[in-house]
Amino acid sequence: MRDGINLARLGIPAVALVTEDFWPQGDFVAKSLGMPDIPRVQLPHPLAGTGAENLRVVAEQIVPTLIRSWLRD
Amino acid sequence: MTDRLQAEDESQALELLHSKGLTDGLPVVIPTPDRVARLLLATGLDADVLLGEMGPGNGAATVEKVAVAACMAGCLPDHMPVVLAAVQAVLQPEFDLTEMQSTTHCTAPLVIVNGPARHNCGPIASGFGALGPGHRANASIGRALRLCMLNIGGARPGESDMALLGHPGKFTYCLAEDEENSPLPPMHQDLGYKPDDSVVTVIGAEAPHSVIYSGDADDPDDAFKLLQVLGIGLANMATNNAVLTGGGAVVVLNPEHAKILARADMSRGDIQLGLWQNTHYSKERLAYFAHGFAERFHGEEYRCFDRPEDILVLMAGGSGLYSMVMPSWCAGANRNRYVSQVITTDQFCEVPTV
Repeated sequence: MRDGINLARLGIPAVALVTEDFWPQGDFVAKSLGMPDIPRVQLPHPLAGTGAENLRVVAEQIVPTLIRSWLRD
Repeated sequence: MTDRLQAEDESQALELLHSKGLTDGLPVVIPTPDRVARLLLATGLDADVLLGEMGPGNGAATVEKVAVAACMAGCLPDHMPVVLAAVQAVLQPEFDLTEMQSTTHCTAPLVIVNGPARHNCGPIASGFGALGPGHRANASIGRALRLCMLNIGGARPGESDMALLGHPGKFTYCLAEDEENSPLPPMHQDLGYKPDDSVVTVIGAEAPHSVIYSGDADDPDDAFKLLQVLGIGLANMATNNAVLTGGGAVVVLNPEHAKILARADMSRGDIQLGLWQNTHYSKERLAYFAHGFAERFHGEEYRCFDRPEDILVLMAGGSGLYSMVMPSWCAGANRNRYVSQVITTDQFCEVPTV
């Protein structure tokens, strides 16, 4: 979340990727850093260690949402 | 009867309790007669019912004295069945409370709660940060047991409690198992209780040691490697489990690690067996660090745990890279056995909030 917000503040379009379990923490960080509406895309949890094939499946599933979030005004 | 102290107001009462060494060093709820009476009422038991003698001071653990400690710890009436069960658990002779309270080792009673009482007598947290701050029932129930051990058992730091440094779990050390999300059956069920029973299991344990493991579903040895690192944490050469041996220990799997083991079709028994097998070491290795302790073994290899089931395995906490292991003291007549106690709720009396 912080990386996404820092990039956004530099004027670079950014979308934060946050896993389901860390979504509430994402809310907290976004609010505390004064950018509650920073674009975010939710990933399943856990993701790390779930295998290359699963990562490919998740990546394919989120790419359209990711691009939509990126292009959001 | 419980001795009564007099003070002009709550502030003076708090200072009096601190000055008499009756607190754990933190502020306590002043145990006024009315407050203690509410907690007593909740138990449905008479004040003078004796649960047992608590060492090392051999104080009489009456229900009233336990209620005083629970009040000081900040307990609600709903917490009382779990507090009573935790006190009864450590009073079981197999727990070796007197020895545990007196040792130089850093050991504290870890209270693990299973069954419906997790919700009915709490809620007792089992998820993110369950052993950390912010969970009232966990904090208060564990603290109530400690205040009993201080004020009924008489374990005073440096005088009768000789722990060289202690550990923060000596303030409070209580959590529930995350039964709803665990791929394993509830721990108490595997200990022989019915799923609908509510049970506390208590073991004298060191502070939690973190074990990092980043799983890899593409690795066929994923579960085996996880068991290996958990074994290293449980009984590395710096632990009593590896040097004194024969005691119990605890593994608190985080959900991610539990899933790795479930993917390998491992039951709790399989996990315990794997941990037991991974903690067989060479006598030569022990002799290098602790020659005197190694002499008692005759073969080339020795076992840190007598039996696989001496290692308690449960799931709790948030999902991520870290599980927790709690090595133990491994001494006393019963070698630091864990004990379980059914939480009795049929005597419980609901006390309205004031």
